[in-house]
Amino acid sequence: MNNTVIQVEDITAGYHEQSPVLKDVSFNIGRGEFVGIIGKNGAGKSTLLKSMRGFLPVWSGKVMLAGKAVGEYQERELARKIAYLQQQVELTFDYTARDIVMAGRYPYRKWWQQQSEADREIADACMKYTGVLEMADKPIRALSGGQRQRVLLAKVLAQQTPVLFLDEPAAGLDLFYQEEIFRFCQELCHRGKTVVMVVHELNLAARYCSRLLLASKGRIIADDVPEKVLTRELLTEGYGVSIEAGRNPETGHADIYTIPEPMDEAKLRLLETIIGGNAGKDVCNGNNAEQSGKGGDMA
Amino acid sequence: MRYHRRLVAIALAVMFFLTFFFSLSAGQYDLGFVQVIAWCCHKLGLPVLQDVNVSAQQEAVLMFIRSPRTLVGFMVGAGLAASGTILQGIFSNPLADPGIIGVSSGATVGAVVAISLGVNAVNMFAMPAFAFVGAICAVFLTIGLATRNGRIPVLTLLLSGVVVGMLLGAITAALLVVMDEYKLQQYLFWTIGSLDYRRWEHVLMGIGPIASGIVIMLLMARHLNILALGEAEAKAVGMPVVKYRLLLLLVSAMTTAASVCISGSIGFVGLIIPHMMRMLVGPNHKHLLPASIVAGGVFLLFCDSLGRVLIEKTEVNVGIMTAFLGTPYFLYLLRKNSNIEK
Repeated sequence: MNNTVIQVEDITAGYHEQSPVLKDVSFNIGRGEFVGIIGKNGAGKSTLLKSMRGFLPVWSGKVMLAGKAVGEYQERELARKIAYLQQQVELTFDYTARDIVMAGRYPYRKWWQQQSEADREIADACMKYTGVLEMADKPIRALSGGQRQRVLLAKVLAQQTPVLFLDEPAAGLDLFYQEEIFRFCQELCHRGKTVVMVVHELNLAARYCSRLLLASKGRIIADDVPEKVLTRELLTEGYGVSIEAGRNPETGHADIYTIPEPMDEAKLRLLETIIGGNAGKDVCNGNNAEQSGKGGDMA
Repeated sequence: MRYHRRLVAIALAVMFFLTFFFSLSAGQYDLGFVQVIAWCCHKLGLPVLQDVNVSAQQEAVLMFIRSPRTLVGFMVGAGLAASGTILQGIFSNPLADPGIIGVSSGATVGAVVAISLGVNAVNMFAMPAFAFVGAICAVFLTIGLATRNGRIPVLTLLLSGVVVGMLLGAITAALLVVMDEYKLQQYLFWTIGSLDYRRWEHVLMGIGPIASGIVIMLLMARHLNILALGEAEAKAVGMPVVKYRLLLLLVSAMTTAASVCISGSIGFVGLIIPHMMRMLVGPNHKHLLPASIVAGGVFLLFCDSLGRVLIEKTEVNVGIMTAFLGTPYFLYLLRKNSNIEK
C-alpha cells in the first residue's frame, strides 16, 4: 500500500522480556483507516496500542511510523504525529477543561515558549467540535463521565496529529456518548486522519470501523473489514465463549450476542445458595421478618 | 466553582505590606506602626510622614535587626512554599512537601556535624554551608535509591525519602549522644527553626539560591502543569518526563536547602501554603506558583511576628508558630477532602 502510515513488523512486546504479552504481531495501517482492535479482556489490546506508541518496550521487531521507527522520533516530534488517549485518566488536581485541552498544544512549543493565542483558538475549536466549549472553565472533576471524555477527546484533537490512538474511549459512557465518539472518529477518518481504537462495543465497531483486528492471547487472529471479522467462528475463537453474529433484519446493523452455557444441576444449586432460601419470597409478601423483629426490640 | 484570582492577588498584596510593617514593628523593642512606615518612606526618599521622628537607636534596630530578619523570613517562606508547590506538582500528589525527599534531615545532619566539629563558633557561614551540603547529598541519595531503569516511580521516591530520613535521623542521634550540653542547646535551636539574630549576611547567603530557584520555577510553570497531569498524560503529549522531574526536583531541593540553612527546619509551610492557594486560585501553576510564593513569605513573616508579640519579654520560635497554626488547618483540610471523596 502506498499510503501506509503505520507498519508493525513482527513485534514481540510487553512489560517483561521473559514473558511478552504480544508475540509476532504484524500489520499495516493506511491513511484514513478507522481501525478497531477487539478481543477479550487480557488479549493484549492495550499493550499493542502502548507498544505502538512507544510506551512499552518492543523486544523484537519494530513499529514504523511514516517510514521511520517510532523509537527514533524525538518525544515532542512523536507527539505531533500520534495523539494517545489512555484508558483511564486519573487527575489529582482540579484543572479546568481548558487547561486539559491546552496540554494538547504542549508539543508545539519550545520549552521556553509560552502558549499563544493561536493555541488557545485551536483548543477552543476542538472543544467546540466535541461540544464542551461551554464548560471550558469548569473543573474537569465536576463534569460527568461523558463530558469528561469529550474534553479528553478535544485534548487529543488539539494535538493536531495525523494519527490518533484511543484506548477504550467509550468505556463507561451511555449509549449516546458511545456512538458519538465513534461518529467523531469516522468523520475525522473521512478527512484523512487515521484512528486506531481499542473497542469493546462490537456492534458499534461493526458500524463505524473500516477495519477490525481481533486480538487473542497476544496474537492477531483476524484482520479484515468488520463483516469478515465479526463471524461466529472467529468471535467464538477470539472470546472463548459461544458468540452468535448476525444482522438485525430491521436496521441492517450487526447484531452480536453471547450464548450462555445451559444451566446444570450444580449451577442451579449455586443459584439457590445465592438467593438464600426464602428471602425473595418474604419481600414479595411484604412480610419482612427482620424488620418486624427490630420493631419489637424498640418497643 | 470560579476562582477569584484578582481578589486573591489584591488580598495577598495588602497582606504583604501589612505583615511587612508588622514584622518591622513587632518585638521587645517597641516601635510604632507609623514610625516604621515613616522610616521606610524616609529611606525610599518619599516626601511623606516627614514630621514623624525616628531616633538613632530605633533606626539601628530597624536597619540591623528587624530588616534582615524580615527579609530572611519572607525569603524562607517563599522558598519553602515554592518548593512545596513544585514537589506536589512533579508527583501530582498534594501531600508531597520539601521534607519528604530528605532535604530537612540532610540539612540537620550537616548542621549537627558543623556543631560537633565546633566550626559554627569560628565562622557564621560554616553551619549553613554544612547544612546545604548535607541537604543536597541527602536529596541525591534519595533520588539515587529511587531511580530504576531511568524512571523515578513516585511511591518509590517517597519511600526512599522516608528511608533516607530515618538513616540520617539515626546519624544525627548518634552524634547528639556524644555532644556536650552547650552544643546540644545549639542543636535544639537549629531544629526548632528560628529567625532570631538573622543579619544581612544571612540575607546575602540565601538570596542567590532562593531567588534563582524561584525564577527557574516560574519559568517552568507551563511544564509543571503538564507534569501534574500524571506521568502517562505527560508522556502522551511528548514531554521527557524524567528529565523535567529531575531538573525540577533539584531546583526545589536547592531552594529548600538554602531556606533551611538560613532558618533551621521550618515545617508545614511547604505543605499547607500550596494546598491553600490551590483552593483559592486553582491548580494552574501560572497562577498557583506566584500566589504560593507570596503567601508563603507572608505566612512565615506573620508567624514570626506573632511569635514576637504573643508572650511578653520572650519570643516563640517561628517553627513552633507555623506548626501551631498549620496543624489545625491541615487537619481541617484532610477532613474536608475525605468528605468530598465520600
